Amino acid sequence: MSATYILVAGDARIGNLVATAVGTSITAVVVGDRGVAEAVAASGVEKVVWLGDPGATPLEAFAGQVAALTAAARPDLVLAPSRPADLVLAGAVAARLSAPVYTMASAVRVADGAVEIDRSVFGGIARETLRIHGPVVVIGDGGEVGTDGGAPIEEVTGAPATTISVIETLPPEHAPVDLSKARRIVSTGRGLKDQGDLSITARLGEALDAELACSRPLAEGVGWFRRDRYVGVTGQKVTPDLYVAVGISGQLQHVVGARGARVIVVINSDEKCPYFGEADYCVVGDLYELVPALTAALTEAN
Amino acid sequence: MRIAVAYKWAPNPQDALVGSDGSVDWRHAKAGVSEYDPVAIALGRSLADASGAELVGLSVGGPDVASPMAKKSALARGLDRAVVVADASLQGLGATETALLLAALVEKIGDVDVVLTGDSSIDEGSRMVPTVLAGALGWPALTDVRSVSGTAGDLSVERNHRGGSQVLRLTGPAVLAAAVDAVVPGVPGVRDILAAGKKPVEEVALTALVRRELGSSVERVRIAGPEVRDRKRRMIEGSDAAVAAHEIVAALRADGVI
Ligand SMILES: Cc1cc2nc3c(=O)[nH]c(=O)nc-3n(C[C@H](O)[C@H](O)[C@H](O)COP(=O)(O)OP(=O)(O)OC[C@H]3O[C@@H](n4cnc5c(N)ncnc54)[C@H](O)[C@@H]3O)c2cc1C
Ligand SMILES: Nc1ncnc2c1ncn2[C@@H]1O[C@H](COP(=O)(O)O)[C@@H](O)[C@H]1O
Repeated sequence: MSATYILVAGDARIGNLVATAVGTSITAVVVGDRGVAEAVAASGVEKVVWLGDPGATPLEAFAGQVAALTAAARPDLVLAPSRPADLVLAGAVAARLSAPVYTMASAVRVADGAVEIDRSVFGGIARETLRIHGPVVVIGDGGEVGTDGGAPIEEVTGAPATTISVIETLPPEHAPVDLSKARRIVSTGRGLKDQGDLSITARLGEALDAELACSRPLAEGVGWFRRDRYVGVTGQKVTPDLYVAVGISGQLQHVVGARGARVIVVINSDEKCPYFGEADYCVVGDLYELVPALTAALTEAN
Repeated sequence: MRIAVAYKWAPNPQDALVGSDGSVDWRHAKAGVSEYDPVAIALGRSLADASGAELVGLSVGGPDVASPMAKKSALARGLDRAVVVADASLQGLGATETALLLAALVEKIGDVDVVLTGDSSIDEGSRMVPTVLAGALGWPALTDVRSVSGTAGDLSVERNHRGGSQVLRLTGPAVLAAAVDAVVPGVPGVRDILAAGKKPVEEVALTALVRRELGSSVERVRIAGPEVRDRKRRMIEGSDAAVAAHEIVAALRADGVI
């Protein structure tokens, strides 16, 4: 049977990866506290290799050990969730195995001594299916914590890299937002001129009973929104019934995050904006007039 | 101290033409320094100025990585010099092969204390090159880095961490991927571009590198266009906002989403 290794750094949400590797012999390598190792052990894997309590050491410092023990097992397939510290573990493993690494995979099949993956390429302009002979590392959406069985936990200890230490950790100011389950979303882009104008889209959000989201520059740029509110290839993937994009040009890296929406409304003053190519309703005009009018029409209709 | 910055010379996929069969035509997509790499260069420049270090740009890719245009664009952003590997066989290389080559380059130029990278590249956008590079060098990697200060062997790094932030101390070499908004890089002026023309660029031949090959064979069995839903693409003229608003409300009602 083919061997799969799943890499876990401090977060046990790997349900999707376990489902992907079903039918292979799955070992999870866990960096993080015992609670994480236990949750992973109860999520459908065959065995957990736990690197022991990390204490105050940053999880990335264990990448070398994770790479050494994973490479020694010569797995056919290595999976890791798309989260920052996990990517560092995956990078170290890929380097050690000289294995190709793929992100944005929509399906992974292990068959006949080869691994086949379907993935979107170049940020979503096309798709490809690859067949890989030899080890391969695939990064995927971790999903939720799995619930299945109780695998044995083998603790291995070793010295992590000691050149890196934490001086101070500041916790998040807010609880994380999960837009993936939102039914309606009003998303704002750089077409909005001023932070004070956010009240315009916020009111539309209220009238629609929608979550608020944005394009990346509004979160990681001017900082008008928190980082977990931007949609796109690096941001959140959303699948609402209704996605209203206000003043968003429709660059590919944004658009791919909301392709799963049932109905897309785009409000943009530029009739040539790329987003109109992938929208249901292409509303050409000034958002400063259209958004308040739409809010009023909705309120009136209610 | 020597600081290296890995930058990619890449086109924006937005400008590529994709056939219904999935074939990608890049002829109309102009290459440039990849969107977020100027942030890494700017972070490197500040660190180099504060510590008296040298700032070396590293890039690998197809022949145009060594074009005068590519060299000038990168150097004008504040690098002291650049070392590039440009070879037709390197066009469209995957993350692991790219990172293994960059690692060989870092080892060849020697005495590098820190490698800075962008968050993700505009075309591949895998975010994996920095982490594989760190693995190949046997160095730690930190991503989403907001600021770096200090000197070789004693660096202080601030990064975004689980919705909050974290300050770390590094006492050895490391690969650091910059957060996309760590700094807002300036646009190079005429003087920067003129100065760039005089800065040294070394082209390293592929054969001069100790290169590790990929341990697997990859075969592409199928390509296809993107999986996009058929959208209505109904144009709604918005010069009379109230009329347009009622049209939208009626349409969304009919679709059953409000
Ligand atoms: C590797 C990589 C990953 C990325 N990941 C993401 C991601 O996950 N998510 C993301 O969003 N971006 C991402 N980006 C950035 C992306 O490429 C775009 O830069 C970004 O999405 C553009 O945001 P925008 O549409 O808000 O701004 P712009 O492109 O500046 O568009 C503003 C729009 O507003 C319109 N407008 C202006 N005034 C008005 C008005 N009065 N009324 C109506 N319309 C008006 C304009 O016509 C224009 O179309 C990524 C980029 C890279 C390179
Ligand atoms: N061919 C390349 N040459 C130099 N640096 C690169 C190359 N490809 C990627 N990088 C660096 O790695 C970062 C992340 O790229 P990626 O992993 O492709 O998303 C980029 O922002 C660059 O700093």
